[in-house]
Formats: sequence, C-alpha cells, structure tokens
Amino acid sequence: MAEIAIGIDLGTSNSCVAVMREGAAQVLPNAQGEATTASVIGVREDGSILVGNLAKANLIHDPKHTICSAKRLIGRAFQSPEVKKAKAISGYEIVPAENQGLRIRVRDELFSIPEISAMILRELKSIAEMRLGQPVKKAVITVPANFNDNQRQATKDAGRIAGLDVLRMLNEPTAAALAYGFGRGLSQKVAVYDLGGGTFDISVLEIGEDVFEVLSTCGDTFLGGDDFDDRLIDLLAEEFLAKHGTNLRHDPHALEKLKDSAERAKKALSVADEVEVRIAGITAKVDGTPLSIERRLGVQELAVLVQDLMQRTFKVCDEALQQAGVVARDLDGVILVGGPTRLPFVRTAVRNYFQQEPKAGVDPDQVVALGAAIHAATLVDTRQSAYLLDVTPLSLRIGVAGGLAETVIERNTPVPIEQTRAFTTTQDGQEKVLIRVYQGESRASSENEALGEFEFGGFRRAARGQVTIDVTFEINADGIVNVTATDRETDLKASTRITLSSGLSEGEIEQILDERRTERVKTQPIAAPREVIGAVRLVTTPVRAVPEARPRAAAAAEPLDEAPVAKPRAAAARAGAPAPVVPGDFAEDDLLDVDLDNEVVLPSRSEPEYDEELIDASIEASAGLFDDGADAPELTEAEEGLLDTSSDASLFESAGVDLTEDDSPEGEEPA
Amino acid sequence: MAQAELAPTEIHALARILDELDYYGLLHVAPGASVADVKRAYFASSRCFHPDANRHLPDDLQVAIARIAKRVTEAYSVLRDPRRRAAYDRRLATGGSTRLQLAEAEAEADRSELQQRGQTPQGRQYFARAEADLQRGDTAAALRNLQTALTFEPGNEAYRRKLQELRRRSR
Repeated sequence: MAEIAIGIDLGTSNSCVAVMREGAAQVLPNAQGEATTASVIGVREDGSILVGNLAKANLIHDPKHTICSAKRLIGRAFQSPEVKKAKAISGYEIVPAENQGLRIRVRDELFSIPEISAMILRELKSIAEMRLGQPVKKAVITVPANFNDNQRQATKDAGRIAGLDVLRMLNEPTAAALAYGFGRGLSQKVAVYDLGGGTFDISVLEIGEDVFEVLSTCGDTFLGGDDFDDRLIDLLAEEFLAKHGTNLRHDPHALEKLKDSAERAKKALSVADEVEVRIAGITAKVDGTPLSIERRLGVQELAVLVQDLMQRTFKVCDEALQQAGVVARDLDGVILVGGPTRLPFVRTAVRNYFQQEPKAGVDPDQVVALGAAIHAATLVDTRQSAYLLDVTPLSLRIGVAGGLAETVIERNTPVPIEQTRAFTTTQDGQEKVLIRVYQGESRASSENEALGEFEFGGFRRAARGQVTIDVTFEINADGIVNVTATDRETDLKASTRITLSSGLSEGEIEQILDERRTERVKTQPIAAPREVIGAVRLVTTPVRAVPEARPRAAAAAEPLDEAPVAKPRAAAARAGAPAPVVPGDFAEDDLLDVDLDNEVVLPSRSEPEYDEELIDASIEASAGLFDDGADAPELTEAEEGLLDTSSDASLFESAGVDLTEDDSPEGEEPA
Repeated sequence: MAQAELAPTEIHALARILDELDYYGLLHVAPGASVADVKRAYFASSRCFHPDANRHLPDDLQVAIARIAKRVTEAYSVLRDPRRRAAYDRRLATGGSTRLQLAEAEAEADRSELQQRGQTPQGRQYFARAEADLQRGDTAAALRNLQTALTFEPGNEAYRRKLQELRRRSR
C-alpha cells in the first residue's frame, strides 16, 4: 500500500486537512469535530501553545498573546505596506528583524512567521495522525495562486519546521479545480473564484481528462473576507463614536470584541437576511457605566458596504479572462472557494458576472484541502495520475541600469520553465556583476517585489563587452524561483536559491528546528474515527429550534450576549419577528440521514448549517465532488434555523468531555 | 495510467539532443500544426515528462526529465502564440538556433508588427485609414486607401497581401 500523504489548506483565517482514502477525498476534522481549524495560535503563560478555535476564543480576552492572520505577513518585509497595515490592526506586537524581516514578540519570545505557520501545520498534522492512527510525514500545502516567491519559500520553510516533507506547493484555485474534475474524464473550461480570508484569486483552467491546464491566474493578495469585516468594524465604530464620543479603535479589548462580532455577523448573514449585533459592555464611560452596542444589520447593508470590493474582484476577473483568451460564456463552470463566497450577494454578483450559476456541492471552505489531498495521493501512488500544468502568477524580472526591471518570464507563462539571458560586462576590467531579481508587473524595479540579489565574479578580466555571462532563471512546478549565472568562457557556475530579503536563512531554520518550539503545540486528543462519529452524535443531541421559544442564547451564559443573533429567513417570515436560535443545534431529521458507516466528514460544529453538504461530499468524493448543473442548494427550513451563536470555548467543553472519554491511545501522537 | 513509459536510455538520449531538436520535433507536431494540435501534443508530452509523473524514478533520470519538461513548456509557450510562432519560424528559416527565448520572441514579434504597419509615416497613415474603413464596412474606401499606401511603399508585402485579400472578397 502506498504511503499516506495529506493535503493541507493553510488559510488566512481557517485551515483544513484532508486525505485520500479508498478512492475518496475526505476532510479530517479536529477534536471538536470541526472540519476547519482557526489559523490562530495562543501562547499561554506556561509557554504551551494552543492552536485553533480555542486560541481564537481567547482573542477577545488576550489579544496580545494571540496571533491571527499570520498568513498576511508571511514572506513580507517589515517595511512593506502590508505589514504596516497589519501593525495598525493587530493586537500582538510586530517587531523588525534582520534582513528587513519581522518577528512577533509574545511573552518575551520572538517568533518568525514561518514558525507561527509551522505551529498551525503541526496542529493539522497531529489531527491527521490521530484520525488516521499512523504517523504522517508527507503533505501537499496550498498557497494563494498570486503568492510571490518570497511567500512560497516562507511557506515551504514553515512545512519543514513543522516536520513535514512538502511534496508540492499547490495553488489554491488549481486544487479546487482538481477536486472538481479529478477522475471525471471532463473536457471543460472552468473558472475558480477564490475569495479567501485575506486574498482573492481567480484562475481559468482547461481540463482535458487527467490534465489540468491553468490558462491564466490573477489575484489581489490584499483583498479578502477580512476586508469585509473591516468595513463592518468601521461602520460600528463610527456609529459608536458619533453616539457616545468614544473611539473603540483606541481600546484593544473593545476592538477585539468588535472584530469578533463583525466576523460572526458576516458569517450569520450567509444564511440570514438580518442579524442583531449585541455587544454588552463593550466599553465604559469614565464613571464606569457600561456602554453597549445593539444594532440590527441587514445583508443588503453589508452588500452596499463592500460593493467596491466586489467590483475590485471583477476587475481582476476581467484581466484573467482576457489573459486566458476566453469570454465568460466559453466557460463550462464556475467554482466558488472561500468562506465569503457563501454570502448570497457574493453568489449573485458572481452569477451575474459569469452569466451562469456557480457549481454547488462542496463546502467552499473544504474544496481546496480536498484537492490538495487528491494531488498528494497522486504523488505517492503511481497508479493514480493528474497532471497539473500551472502558470507563474507574476512576471519575473531582472534589474537593469536606470532603476528598471526587464521581463525575463512573463506572468501566466506555464511552469516549469527555464529562460536564459546573456549579459556582458559594462566596464573595462570589471571583476563582478550584481544580479538583482524581481517579481511584479512594473518596469520600475522599485515597484516590484525584490526577490533577492547575488554577486557573480571570478571571470576573466577583460575590456568591457568581452565577457559574456549567461543568467538562467528557473521557475519550478512549485512556483519557486532559482537563478544560476554561468561564465560562458569557463563554464564556471554560481547558483543561488534566491536569498529572500525578508526570509529565514538556512542557519535560522536549523536553529528553529533545534529549539523545537513548535512541539509546544498542545493538540487535543482525538478518538479513532468510528468512535468519533458516536461522540459527535452524542454532543449534537438533537434539539429542535423552536422559532417562538425564548432564545437560549440570550438567556444562557454571558459570553453569548456578544454574539450576533440571527433572524433566519424562513422563521422570520413565519413569525414576523427576529427568531434567535439555539447554539449549534442539529435538527433531528438531519441527523438520522447521517450514514454512520461513512466515517469521513463529520458535521462541522462551527458551521452546522452546512453539514448536509459535508456528508454528501464525503459520499460522492472522487466520483465527482460537484453536482453538475445543479443550482446553489436551496436551504431547507431546518438548515435555516441553525445558526451557531455559542462561544467557541463552551463548545469545546461539551465536545471535549465526550471525545476524551474514548480510549484509543494508538491514535495519539507520541509524547 | 495514461503515461507512455520511456526507457531510461531514451530519456537520457532525448535530454542530450534537446538543443538539436526544434520545438516542432520536440512536441511531435508538423510545422503547420493548428493551435489545438499543439495543445494536444503538449498534454501528451506532459503526461510523459511532468515532474510529478516521475517522482518514483532515480535522481539522474529526474534531472533529465526536468530538463525535457522545461523545454516542452517553452516550446508550447512559443508555438501556441501566433506572434511568437511567426518569429520562431522566421528564425528557423534563416538557420538560427532551435531555441527562442520568450522575451526575444516578444521583442521580435513587436518589431515585425511595426514593420508590417509600414516604414513611412504616409504609408502607415493610409494603412490605418484603410483599416478604419474596413471596421466601418466600407470596402471601396479601404481599397482606395490601401492603393495609396502602396504608392508610398511599393515593396511592402503586408500591404500587397491585404489588397489582394480585399479584392478577392469584394468580387
């Protein structure tokens, strides 16, 4: 039997791990039974490290020791605008480091971003090991298609630090297309619209049976669901300022509460027309009187707030279609990826732009991990094959005189590829040349991402123009750049893994590996798969939401007050009033439909409204994860009535009890 | 598995003679092959030489295969694009190298297009008018303007071809 290799979607907000077993791609849920794990780490006082929703729940109380959205910082220089923006909105401390790099300071310890990402990867690896009951070494990790070389290298370093052999770095939209088309013998052109937490990517692909050719990919690395949250935060903060004269943005704790509520409200609006945002005691007056936020928010209001962001995504789509040489009506399908694509107005806008209904059937939060798992399986098992012909998202350039950067490999050129340019010396007796490499779309070198520079010398001293140096640029199938310089006369070579300006040196990686800090990640133990089904059934004991009932959310524990309370469409229509629902409920009928022998995708606790889709996905899996020609699934009444408004912490407690009762030590990671 | 297995000696041999093969020979397509044929050939070659398809092979073979894969991508990038392909064909016709760097292909295509548009300001001006006439569907005016353009540049092959094409169409 072939070795196990997993697929990991390392997301800005949430991450997901999947594996291919018995011909089906399956998501491996975490200890809480959730399909995705928050990409958040928390460093506790005793030095232990928490990853996931438990850490995220702490964000409100302990923003200084909780690191989220680290993916936005990976491979970035300290001086970059992205890092400046992150500094303005992050509760944790970002400090400069050598080589224009950056570190995050938590409890007097400095962490590099690859190390933070490695902790998330380690958690996912542990989840996979416990679910599979065997060690996992190999993985395919996905990255946004528009990631540059610095970001890809840093992500690969993160994999290494986490103790993973990264078989391949796969572009997220390509992974989604693979999940859609693998094993179906399709001959189609498709677009993948990937609106993630922090990035937007659009890829146009041509699928020819087992070959997946990316025709073009375009993106915006700083546009995502987080920006939707920011718009909501701005709205609420401005209103609060106008009403109470207090700027919540200057209060880190209030800001975290606001962020948390904004994100919850956005998620809730994926299934409800209106939510009520309630943040009791978000701050206090000078005399100690608590001030609160209480406001209804309609989905249309959010749609208007983010209209310009949506338009920005379609401008990128225009570019991608044009570069692929296709028009919208040439496409046989549109695949949605990323949590924000659940918002009804996003789906509508996408449908209008592409003039067709997007494909339905797989959870947009899981499709990338499933695709990565499929690819991982094809890489370790020679009986299965899928050939991914991807492109480089950014033009590769070389610095020339006058502050300019000349194109060597244009963007959207297929990879792997190698191109050679000849250079001659410009001065008599010149001893060395400096080769500077950039990625980006500007003629001005300063407007591109600097990948690095290296000196090449040791050639014959001669009059100018007498010495020719061949510089070879290679982009491999991972999208990673290598540059080699050769003296044509002596065949003397100098090559470089382009030393990234802000990345980790080999020495630093070795040191991080020696320190083994990622081993401080404490993963909750998970029972073996079959038992987990039972446990999940147990914790999700059906409690039907009664629209007229007094909301348990409001009556129950205090933290629930901070959560927005949804007004489900159907229930609201019937009752004519907001009808908040019970946390994380599953309607009884839904549960009975669960195939208990199907030990794969468990209902996600945090997103219960999608559990039906999850289960369907696991059953269909490799036969085709997508329901061709089907419209976006109409929400049933039962699904609409479900909205998780519980706090993550309380959720864990109930799940933890059931799960840890099980004794299946073989599934646990050795101490 | 769809992959056509090549013997190790064949892979090494192919890697050795890469610089002697032109892009058509490498992809096994005829010089006049359509873009669809080129794409089919690229897919077929990828099934053989994609790095992912050959992970199980020994290192030295993987190195050879990686070289071939990169050249296959290059060949496809040139032959699928009519502008680049024309530049490549001109190079082959003049006995040049079997490789054409993509940036060079772009630059050469730009030069050639500029030449097609005319070498004299008047030639370019009347050629542009003829194109505008055609956009409006006024073939008679286009014919007049093309003829005028030709009086300024009697040797311009592109003008002449266009004129002949128009005459055939207007009959």
